[in-house]
Order: sequence, then C-alpha cells, then structure tokens
Amino acid sequence: MEPARVVFTSGFAARYTKGVREFEVQAKTMRDVIKAMDDMFPGLGFHLEEETTLAINGEYHETGIFQPVPPGAEVFFIPRIEGG
Amino acid sequence: MNDTAIVTDSVKRFKWVGTRPIRPDGIPKVTGRAQYGADLKLPGMIYGKILRSPHAHARIISIDTSAAEKLPGVKAVMTAADLPVQKFDYIGPERVAVNFWHVTRNIMAREKVYYEGHAVAAVAAISNSIAEEACALIKVEYEVLPHVIDVDEAMADDAPLLFEDMITRGIEPAPTKPSNISKKLSFAMGDVDKGFAESDVVIEHEFKTAAVHQAYIEPHACVAKYEADGQCEIWSSSQGHFQMRALTAQIMGKALGDLRVTPAEIGGGFGGKTVAYLEPVAATLSKKSGLPVRVTMSREETFRASGPTSGSSMWVKVGVKNDGTIMAADGIFKFQAGAFPGSPVMNACLCAYAPYDIPNQRAVGWDVVSNRPKAAAYRAPGSPISAFAMESVLDMCAKKIGMDPLAIRHKNACRIGTPTLSGPKHAHAGYIETVEALQKHPAYQVKLGPNQGRGVASGYWFNGGGESSATIQVNADGTVLVATGSPDIGGSRASMAIMAAETLGVDYNVVRAIVADTASVGYTHVTGGSRVTFATGTAVVNATKTIVKTMIERAAMIWGVEPDAVIWEDGYAKPAGSNVGDFKPLSVKDIAGKAAATGGPITASAGVNAGGQAPGFATQFCDVEVDPETGHVKILRFVAAQDVGRAIHPSYVEGQIQGGIAQGVGWALSEEYIYNSKGLLDNAGFLDYRCPVASDLPMLDAVLVEVPNPTHPYGAKGVGEVCICPPMAAIANAIENAIGKRLTDLPMSPPKILAALSA
Repeated sequence: MEPARVVFTSGFAARYTKGVREFEVQAKTMRDVIKAMDDMFPGLGFHLEEETTLAINGEYHETGIFQPVPPGAEVFFIPRIEGG
Repeated sequence: MNDTAIVTDSVKRFKWVGTRPIRPDGIPKVTGRAQYGADLKLPGMIYGKILRSPHAHARIISIDTSAAEKLPGVKAVMTAADLPVQKFDYIGPERVAVNFWHVTRNIMAREKVYYEGHAVAAVAAISNSIAEEACALIKVEYEVLPHVIDVDEAMADDAPLLFEDMITRGIEPAPTKPSNISKKLSFAMGDVDKGFAESDVVIEHEFKTAAVHQAYIEPHACVAKYEADGQCEIWSSSQGHFQMRALTAQIMGKALGDLRVTPAEIGGGFGGKTVAYLEPVAATLSKKSGLPVRVTMSREETFRASGPTSGSSMWVKVGVKNDGTIMAADGIFKFQAGAFPGSPVMNACLCAYAPYDIPNQRAVGWDVVSNRPKAAAYRAPGSPISAFAMESVLDMCAKKIGMDPLAIRHKNACRIGTPTLSGPKHAHAGYIETVEALQKHPAYQVKLGPNQGRGVASGYWFNGGGESSATIQVNADGTVLVATGSPDIGGSRASMAIMAAETLGVDYNVVRAIVADTASVGYTHVTGGSRVTFATGTAVVNATKTIVKTMIERAAMIWGVEPDAVIWEDGYAKPAGSNVGDFKPLSVKDIAGKAAATGGPITASAGVNAGGQAPGFATQFCDVEVDPETGHVKILRFVAAQDVGRAIHPSYVEGQIQGGIAQGVGWALSEEYIYNSKGLLDNAGFLDYRCPVASDLPMLDAVLVEVPNPTHPYGAKGVGEVCICPPMAAIANAIENAIGKRLTDLPMSPPKILAALSA
C-alpha cells in the first residue's frame, strides 16, 4: 500500500518533531496516522488531537481518529484557530 | 427571484431543494411574538446589572460591595471572587483554542480592568432601577494605568503593558522581555524574493482598518434559573447554546449535565454571539439569590463590552509579470486582539492569497493586545481585513500593466490542486466560475459618468464542518418534526425542512423544523463558520435516511414481505416488483398511523462530525460616484457572484450575500470605533456609529453560482461569510477608479476622501 504523506507546518514541526516537516506512514485511518506519529515522538498524538485541524488530500476535517486515509494521501496538520 | 440569478438544474432535479417556500419563522417575527433573549419572564424573576470599568486600563486595588448588599431589594452581588480560578492553557473544541484564564477575566475582571466597559461586579435586584442604584454603591478603588489603543503603538518597545509577563509566542528563541505581542505567525511557500526578482511590476503598500462591531440588532440577553439541587437552566440568545453550556460550565466549575440551555430566537449574531458574556453572571447571581435572574446588555454596553472584530495595520507587496501572472505575494498583518490574545490574524494570513495560484507566498501575522474589548468573530473572521489589502494591491498591479481587473483574477485563478499557504492543495473548484459570472454580467459593460468608478475584488473563506446532531420524529398524522441543535440565524429551519422533505419525499409544508435545547438533541457546535447547512444538514439527511429505512421495514411488516421487497419512492413505500404482490403504495401518513401496531414511534437521530466542507469563493464589483464637494461616496451598483454549491433555499442565500455586502459597505465607508485621548469609546451607539441604512444602498445583485460540493448530500456549501470579504477592496478600487486617488485607511469617510482629493 502506498504510504500516506504526513505534513506539519514549520512552527508545529519546530516544537514537536525536531523541525522535520514531512513523514511517510502506513495508514488506513487517521488513527493509524496519529499512532504512527506518536510512536515516533511520544506524546505527539495528544498535541495532534488537541492543537490541530486536518486536511486529507485538501479536504478539511476536525482532527479525529475515524477518518479513512486513502493510499498515498497527503495528510496536512494545521494549527487550530485561536479564539481567545 | 433575482433577474440575474444563475438558475441551475437543481430546480429540475429536486422537488424542494432550490425552491423558495415561505420561511417558517416569518409570522412570529413580523407579529412581534418571537421570543428573543430579553422576552422571557419567569415567576419570581429578578434583574441583573453589571458594574463596568470607567477606565481604559487600571489596577483594581479593592472592591467594596457592602453598601450595595444592604440596599433594600438587592438579592445578590457578585465579583470575580465568586468564580473559580482557571488554569492558564489554550484548550478548546473544534478549530478554536480558548484560554479560560483569559475568558474568566473577560467575563469579570480580577487584578486589572483592561478596557472601558470591562465588567467588575454585578448585582441582582427586584427591579432594574434598584440594581442600577446598587451598582452605583459599589466602591471600586482603581490605580489608573497608562493605556494603549492603536495596534502599532501597542507593539512599540515603550508601550504600556497589559500583561507584565506576556512573552511573545512563535519566536525562537523566545524573547526575554514582555510585550503586548501575544503571538507571531509565519507562513511561507516557494521563494518570495526570487518571485519578486522575476516580476516586471512590484507594488507594495500599507493599510489600516478600524475595529468594527457586528452591530446585531438584538443586544446580548439571557435568563438563568439555578435550583437548590445544583441544576441550572439558561435561556439565552446566542449562536450556540451548546457553546454557552460548555463555557458556562467551565467558568462556573460545573458539570455539563447540570446545565440545560434553551436557545432564544436570535436577532443577529454574525460571529459576535459565539462568546459568553452574561450567562455565567446570570447563573451565579441566580445561584446566590435563589431566584431566576435576567441580565441584558444595553446597546451602549454591547458596543463597549462585547467583541468587535479586529482593527489592523498591514503591509502587502505583490509582483506580477506584464502578462498578468502573479509571481509573488508578501504581507505583514498586525491585528488588534483587544484586551486578551486571540485575534483572527491566522485566518487573515491564510485567506489573503487563497483565490490565486501564486508560486511564491509569505505572510507574517502578529496578534497584539491593547485596551479595547476582546475581539470576537465577525463573518469570515480575519479574511475581509487581509482581502482589503491584497485585493487593493492586486488592483494597483492590474492598472499598472493595463489589464482588466477581472482578467488578472481569471488568469491567476486557483483550481483543484492549486497549493495554498495553509499547506493543503485546493480540493474544490468554484473561484474561477465567480469571475466568469461577472465577466458575462451585462452590468459590467455599463459605461460610467464623471466622478464615477468601478472596482473589483475577490474573497476566500474556509467554511466549516464539525459536529452536529438531528432528531426526526414522524407523527401519527404523517407530519414530521426535525429537531436540530443549530440556532437559526440564516434560515436553517427552512433549509433543514427542505432537505428532510426532499429526502423523505414529502411535502415541505408537513415538515416542521425546530431548534431544540441542550437536553433534547445531541451536541451541536455553534452556528458559525458557515457550517450549518453543510454539517447539520448532513445530520438531518442521515437521520431522514434512517426514517426511510424504518418506513420500508414497517411497510414490509404490514404487507408481510421482506424489507428488500419494498422500495421508497416519492414519499411512498411501493412493492419492488410485480412479483412482490399487488399492494397499494403506502404513504408516510399510512405507515405512521400504524406505528403502534408495527413497533412503536418512528423516530431517528443522527450525529456527525462532518468533514470535506468546500470553501467559499466570491467575486464582486461595485460602481460608485464620489461627490468632490462633500467627499460622500454613493454606491450606484453592486454585483456579487458567489459559489454557493447548491442553494437549498435561494432567497435565504441571496439574503446572506446582500447582508454581507451591506455590512461590508459600512466597514468600508462609515463604521469605526472612535476612542478619545483617555482611551474611552466616543461612539457607543447607532447615532454615532454609522451603519448603512436602506437609503445608502442600491438593490444588491446576488449572482448564485452553483458548483455543487460532492461531500454534501445536496451539494451545499457555506454561504454566510465569504460575501463580506470583497466589499471593502471593491469599494476602495472603485473610488480610485473614480477620483484617481488610492485610499488605504478604513473607513473611507468623507473627510478622508476630501483630504485625498486635496492632496
């Protein structure tokens, strides 16, 4: 199966992934993506669920674990809007 | 129907979607019987009043409420000491992170007051006049501090600090000195410097916009009833009663299950009623007094103490080739957050260039606190502000290379797959279609006279999805109830009823849609972000599909056949084929009438976390005439093309577009918060805060472009916000076209026009 390409913003990457912005992970769902990233950077899964919103192949979603991830998808994590 | 509306195939393919039935909320509203937030009166109810800061910035030395408590008729007095301490942390649902350390201080001041009108204490009494008298008896000792209002001044090294420990986030390494800058945001793609070097024309300019209020006609209002067992009911006018429940529970330290919030009819919100100001105050006063308490804001309080949107200071630079290709765009966006962090500057950064395919982009945003009320959401928060700057500079570029302003937008239009500064590539089309709709519009060819000008601008907004719930009940007589958790601020009751009627195959007039309270329907996020028709509509359709499945099962039981031998067609259960048997089709009424015999009430609920919402794209042009003697700008014509996906109820969609333009005209020409030298607001009322009125506007021509969203059952896209993104730039561009002067400071009021003419 073609891996998903996971991308973070530069600010998020600087905080949590030692500045690395892009990763490739095997995933069928967002649960797989978040788990794979948390395995690489323990604790990162919490930050992804709490601090980001999500785009899978350009389609925006709330960051969850239920969304399917198509083969070769681009999964982009974007900071949540700050409301006050 | 609007003469220029693009009528799509929706009216042919659907029975109800795309039609314009009479709005279900019309009669209660025009007869004055609709129950708004301030209309509810409970037995034994008393009245709350809030004491507010007379200073822009001051330290609270002491608060003495003893005299107020002794006044006959006073039942409760509260200060921030009655609310639990909140942790300093950015948390929150959906795409919004909230810091409750800030939120609780905005509801009731603690160590300091940060703006004029900041709540300091509250009283509940048997009458409004006694509550006011009691407020006057509360003695607050202040140490008045220097204040700062303007965003550029607030960023200066020697600016008075609102928070002595605020270290700017988003800068590495972190600064060692505190400032009023809450956060720096940086976004970039490509090589901006290379893009400018490869450009034939590069234009840059600075811009300023004023803080403007959403100016909803109904001020904030709520009633709270706190019982001795700790259960609390709240009735309030808001854009999200689940949001009010969550915020009130957090601020009071209560469990969600102890609060039940019922939505009142709402007299406008536009983003400003997603914030809790009164609910925790009313609930605390009710808790302390043991009586129901109503708290309402006056118009003046609404201006002084509820959130306007940010004012800004911006710089934008754009480089283009002589053939119109945009090579690079760069911008710095400095936003007033008000007294607490959290302006919509990130949206401004990410939306400014989004309609275009630009290989090299950069945006830097600054979130800055100053002694103003905390900024709140306002239609496409942030996007209209940066669009004013970007679309103005793009217009200057088009003029410089001698290109039509629609042509340059068409040449650079984004398409599916175009990268965005947010990171993801565009997944939906719809922008170029709005440009082409205006290129074909006959009014775009109308010749203009002396002192008249035409201006074009575009806009982008993400639109929202997220969590929504719906419950459908089929009554014994075949009528249908649709209950959702989305307060209706833009016609959602009509559109929900239309989608349910379409899915079930019944007459729209037998479907009644209501907004249910937090105890009667599943969690539903706010009516905001142009999300309701998309997300809540998806929940309604999903629940209705379950109803259809149940109808088929009940019909099969009545006929004594298997469910797969029954089909659902045009609101009737029918045999799937002639071999099933000779059965007369059963209507919803037929089946509902036998509900008890076939298994009980027919009802279904659905909850969704809807994703895949399509963004909103809008392109508008307006014609203006400038009076060179007075500086008055008259709007002659306004044509707005917007991709709406599929208009479920086109009249409401046109109304949203017209409303967004009307507010944009005010933002462009007349609306602003005006502060005096003491940092006090000088125009906290509609006489001095000048919103457009009917005589200021021509008929606003809404052109509905329908590029259906495949992720919604009927193709709907959010429509309520992107319409306010282009007007300010379109008007500025039209004024420049009329008088040859570029105005870059909103509002473009007559004195500024006259100053430009005489420069």
